[in-house]
Amino acid sequence: MNSIKKYLALMLVIGNFIIPNLQAQDDLEIKKVFDQYGEKKGVIMVELSSEMLEDYDFTLFKSITIKNNPPAADFIRKCLSKDEIGAKKVKHVVSNGIPTTIYLQLPRKGDAFRLILFNESLKPELKNTLIYIESKNDSEEALKLIIKKK
Amino acid sequence: MRLKFRYKLTYEQADKLIEKYYEGCTTVEEEKRLHGFLSQVNLPAKYKSEQTIFGYFNERKNIKSFQIPGYLRWTAVIAILFIGAFSFQVFTSNNKQNYAYINGEKISDIKVIKTHALASLSDLTNSKNEMEESIKNLNNNNIIEQQLEVFSEIK
Repeated sequence: MNSIKKYLALMLVIGNFIIPNLQAQDDLEIKKVFDQYGEKKGVIMVELSSEMLEDYDFTLFKSITIKNNPPAADFIRKCLSKDEIGAKKVKHVVSNGIPTTIYLQLPRKGDAFRLILFNESLKPELKNTLIYIESKNDSEEALKLIIKKK
Repeated sequence: MRLKFRYKLTYEQADKLIEKYYEGCTTVEEEKRLHGFLSQVNLPAKYKSEQTIFGYFNERKNIKSFQIPGYLRWTAVIAILFIGAFSFQVFTSNNKQNYAYINGEKISDIKVIKTHALASLSDLTNSKNEMEESIKNLNNNNIIEQQLEVFSEIK
């Protein structure tokens, strides 16, 4: 019994160290988009962490822009449809039955307010942009900052 | 490397060896085995005299048993885990880098990275109003009611 208590105490100590380090995006389907397409041709992927994002007050910024890749676009939409569950749809634009713009406010995870922004443009070419933002401020503030800095 | 296979002597074998020992016919190896046998705890009383001859009791007295206290063992385990967890933390925080991949090529020039980050933001929407409307939606809990009102106007 005593050893079980000690074991549990140890697990607690380890948990306190490790769990906060698991990234907040790890539970999201869109992570697969970054992992699968991030390093491919015709793709621009950006990751910026807090020290470079002082102007925006973001703690993490990840974006991926994929050009002329319809399967990738479908894959993003598929991932988003899963991440939509439990998230607040801030914006959802459907064109010809296909979602072209999606803004999602995800449930807060730890200290992080999380946003997913997706847009598809067809002209002059097919371009899919997916952005994932983590912020210590409210998602509303995060969006306001994006507008201000634009 | 030489491997030694040690096996336990049976009482019979031990008796034979003791007899041989008293006759002065044992080899060094056999005496070693006998010594090993006699240094066992809980041997029958008949071996006491041999144990005395081989100085087993004296040896036992001189042997200082060293045991790590339980609390020290736990402290060591906790220390190791702390080090492991700390290393993990350092490792994962180093992973939070600033980088960009353009056509599969990793870029670490911060100016270029920022330019692409801003470009992706401007890709989202060309209209400032569009984004502002989205912000309104964020905290607009009446949105459903507003949408339903449209239907209530239909006669």
